[in-house]
Amino acid sequence: MDLKNTLAELESKLTEALKQTEKLEKLQDIKAEYLGKKAELSLLMRHMKDLSAEERPVFGQTINAAKARFTELIELRREALEAQQLEARLHAEKIDVTLPGPNFRLGRPHVLNRIIMEIEDLFIGMGYTIKEGPEIESDEYNFEKLNLPKDHPARDMQDSFFITEDRLLRTHTSPVQVRTMLEQGGSQPVKIICPGKVYRRDEDDATHSHQFMQIEGLVVDTDTTMADLKGTLLTVARAMFGEHRNIRLRPSYFPFTEPSVEVDVTCFKCNGNGCGMCKHTGYIEILGAGMVNDFVLSASGYDPSIYQGFAFGMGVERIAMLKYGIDDIRHFYTNDIRFLKQFST
Amino acid sequence: MNISLKWLKELIPYTVTPEKLGSLFTIHSQEVDSVEKLVDAEGLVIGYVQTCQPHPHANSLSVCKVDVGDAVLNIVCGAPNVAADQTVIVALPGARLPGGLKIEKTVIRDEASAGMICSLSELGIDYKYHHEDGIHVVRDALKPGTDALAALHLDDHVLSLDLTPNRADLLSMHGVAYDVAAMLDRPLELPNVSVEATGDQAVTIKTETPRCHSYYGRVLKSIVIKPSPQFMQARLIAAGIRPINNVVDITNYVMLETGQPLHAFDYDALNSDTIVVREAQAGETFVTLDDKTRTLHAGDILITNGREPVALGGVMGGADTEVTSETTSLLLEAAVFDAITVGKTSRRLDLRSESSLRFERKVDPEKTVYALDRATALFMEYAEAELVGDKGYFDHTASTDAPITLSLEKINSVLGGNYSAEHVDSILNRLHLPFSRNHHTYDIQPVSRRQDLITYQDIIEEIGRISGYDQLPNTLPNTVAQGGLSLKQNLRRRIRQALTGLGLDEAVTYSLQQEAHIERFSFNHETPIKVADPMTDLHAALIHTPLTGLYDVAKHNAARRQYDVNIFELGTCYTQAGEVERLGLLMTGSYHPYRWQRTPQTDFYTLKGVIEALLDGLGLPAPTYQPIEHNDLHPHQAASLLLEGEQIGFLGKVHPKMTSEDHLSDVYVAEIDVETLLKMSPEHATYKPLQKYPSVERDLALVCERSLPAETVLEAIKAQGGSQLVHLDVFDVYMGEHLSDDQKSLGLRLLFENPEKTLESKTVDTLIEKIVEHLHKTYGITRR
Ligand SMILES: [Zn+2]
Repeated sequence: MDLKNTLAELESKLTEALKQTEKLEKLQDIKAEYLGKKAELSLLMRHMKDLSAEERPVFGQTINAAKARFTELIELRREALEAQQLEARLHAEKIDVTLPGPNFRLGRPHVLNRIIMEIEDLFIGMGYTIKEGPEIESDEYNFEKLNLPKDHPARDMQDSFFITEDRLLRTHTSPVQVRTMLEQGGSQPVKIICPGKVYRRDEDDATHSHQFMQIEGLVVDTDTTMADLKGTLLTVARAMFGEHRNIRLRPSYFPFTEPSVEVDVTCFKCNGNGCGMCKHTGYIEILGAGMVNDFVLSASGYDPSIYQGFAFGMGVERIAMLKYGIDDIRHFYTNDIRFLKQFST
Repeated sequence: MNISLKWLKELIPYTVTPEKLGSLFTIHSQEVDSVEKLVDAEGLVIGYVQTCQPHPHANSLSVCKVDVGDAVLNIVCGAPNVAADQTVIVALPGARLPGGLKIEKTVIRDEASAGMICSLSELGIDYKYHHEDGIHVVRDALKPGTDALAALHLDDHVLSLDLTPNRADLLSMHGVAYDVAAMLDRPLELPNVSVEATGDQAVTIKTETPRCHSYYGRVLKSIVIKPSPQFMQARLIAAGIRPINNVVDITNYVMLETGQPLHAFDYDALNSDTIVVREAQAGETFVTLDDKTRTLHAGDILITNGREPVALGGVMGGADTEVTSETTSLLLEAAVFDAITVGKTSRRLDLRSESSLRFERKVDPEKTVYALDRATALFMEYAEAELVGDKGYFDHTASTDAPITLSLEKINSVLGGNYSAEHVDSILNRLHLPFSRNHHTYDIQPVSRRQDLITYQDIIEEIGRISGYDQLPNTLPNTVAQGGLSLKQNLRRRIRQALTGLGLDEAVTYSLQQEAHIERFSFNHETPIKVADPMTDLHAALIHTPLTGLYDVAKHNAARRQYDVNIFELGTCYTQAGEVERLGLLMTGSYHPYRWQRTPQTDFYTLKGVIEALLDGLGLPAPTYQPIEHNDLHPHQAASLLLEGEQIGFLGKVHPKMTSEDHLSDVYVAEIDVETLLKMSPEHATYKPLQKYPSVERDLALVCERSLPAETVLEAIKAQGGSQLVHLDVFDVYMGEHLSDDQKSLGLRLLFENPEKTLESKTVDTLIEKIVEHLHKTYGITRR
């Protein structure tokens, strides 16, 4: 029998057997049948002893090559079957990827606190400390030390909730400035912002609220200027309303500052060209500010011949309403969850 | 203050447009609310009604032949007061009226009508200024065809200023003219007034109170009461004051012009040559010219005729001496009253007027005589007044203040600008502020027309605003400091971050709530702090807990079919001992995660899990719980929250009676004291090396009495387990079959570790036995 023909015959038998096999376990049997000790291929080795010394190596090599070839054929089939099996399993695991995931949800910080945090972070970056104080204040801290004596007409501008003759809900966070200056003892520079709740006797409607949030700022040093105030407020306006904004200062009046100004930012809807939002002026009022009145410095222990400072104050609701186009100030305090959920973290 | 620009232009001839003037005012002086035409209309001429016939087909209409100069028009008019021989305002075909109404040739019930005869209301002049129901009949015989708005002085613009209370000077045309002169650097042209006294009828003025600083009076006779001239009426309307008659109008006109309020008494009714100013006695009564009897307070300023009161100084005249159509002689008053007194009296009696407003903000004492003379001249011109004697007066006006000293360096150091002495000189000159300068030091003389200029800071403001703040550079303070959050502010942010991370939304509610709701969910039973005079019962008392507001938030949302509400608030609470910060949590409906149909409802343990996650995240130890009672909480689902034995808050289910009354499903609330959290918060986390040796896990099923709190069992196990028991969890609670009715089974998982060596099974078994034995002995607990 010719060895080559025998091997070729065996290989075609093996190929056919592998083709018929669909199960991985069967491959083990085929391997035993064709490569095992009792396999025809192994039996052929017995003929080795009948060969001459020259023929033996050639014969051996041929048999070994066939073994390797058979092994490869079996492995190829194994790989193919394994791939088929995996595919079938994965197919069975098919899901509807469009169904929703579990309802995990991040809650939202309240939009007012979110704006306060943004402003706090901006000022912390510029070296300011955040100061807070009581909401029930004395007349002295809320008014008198701020140059608002009992009969001052400007007290009308912030008609207040008195608790007793001398105690009231603060009408602004300015008393925190007074307290801080007194704490500093009249000799240390002051660089603070004061966020917090304040209260005024306004009827609640779409644009008025008897309670609102304010952020005030105060810098007192020997060389603090109105130009510093202007530069600081420009930074705030750009951080809150976009880097292309500009501001303008126009004269105003507050008993605790002199000069006093109102600060407008160029309208972020029309870029200053005039639209309904800015009443066709190109500007939107965002805050009040000024140089600290000498009376206030003295009342808080600072010598006005050495120290000067600036102060500013803004309503957080107003900033939020402008920034997001919120149409009713009462939304902030009603806490409808449809409202709360709109302001991403 | 509304400014007639025609009037202003007489005092300060300017050339800029009304809009430009408005924007200059906003930038350099006061905010301008609006700049508008007094009458926004075109195509109006004076017409003369030649004939007026009833309309042949319509009872209520008339057909008029109206001479409009270059033509005689046929106009159908519906006004009942139209008549032949009237001078009227005609809107010609093609005219435009306020609101965009166009007038066209038309046919009305078969009669051609070429135009419209106008009422003042149709010109956009509010009814309150004229009280005319029909067409406006022009008093003077003006030439037909002339421009009607110009002829009637209605071709004007009105600048509406939003004044701050310090700028009393801008309550007068003169004051506004001064400011415009400074802005535009133009000369002023204020009218000169001089009145020659004739006759010898004198009035004597006396005062018994320092609250009247000066008082000038003059008698005018043979007065003829009639309408005031058209220009005056138009200017009053522009300023927002209704024209009445020449006497009233002249006093108002001069007040607008000078800022000095005037009052005219009927001299015959006054029946005295003496005026005595005194303070009212408490309880004294006086009938004001609105015929109301006013009860006075001690200190109110009274003008008397030496016998009885005739006016409430600076506030309102008396009914008895009011000028009427029969009046023929006047006593004209120009006085300065104490600002604070007038303010108090007018506020108390709710009698705030243009006069009281000006007194309250302080009038210019140097304008008093000017105003009296100016009015006298106008009375002579427009009311045929006859002067019968010189003015009587007293004047205790304090002498002018010392000069304000200010250096150029201070100006630049406050403004942060770099202004030269020449620049500052020019600004002070433009403001008409007298000053002297020695090198860089200014002495500026205060002026009575600007009583708001008292300190050097006031002067710096004048220089800053007239120069324009846009001239200043944008710099940042030189002050260097370390910024940052305090520990408490930082904790607040961490709480907010943790709770929003857990899916809760932050709410902000009102501090003032209904008094009846303050005790809700509050363990603080003291009397709430109330505001003295609440605006509404809804906001009358200060809260003890944020839960007061949060509960209303749940109600608000449920009423809008929003049942899943998971919220928190960090809020100030107000106690007699001071303000404290508390964290309120409220959960109702379902809480994430849920998937498709499975939507578990929030229960007591959901809220507990949230609280424990928060405390764990903040690095605080695990809390313990003790049942508590509160009227607003479920009697068997409420517990106080303790941290290392100290109470930090509570949690519980809102009493079902309350929630069902409010149409809410189960609501769970918790309150945590932020101050205590802050006190107990570790400064930083503590690191423990990771366990090197394997841990041993054991499950334990125990049967115990149902009423025994799990926490008791867990605490006992922890005590017995010692340091090698590192973790203990409840994984199952079972009640029912195979157990008696008063029993429950707890499935517990215990984790043991030893940091030094591998734990042997034997060691753990011994520990477990010890634990079980102890539980059996102490609580009768058995292994299942
Ligand atoms: Zn705009």
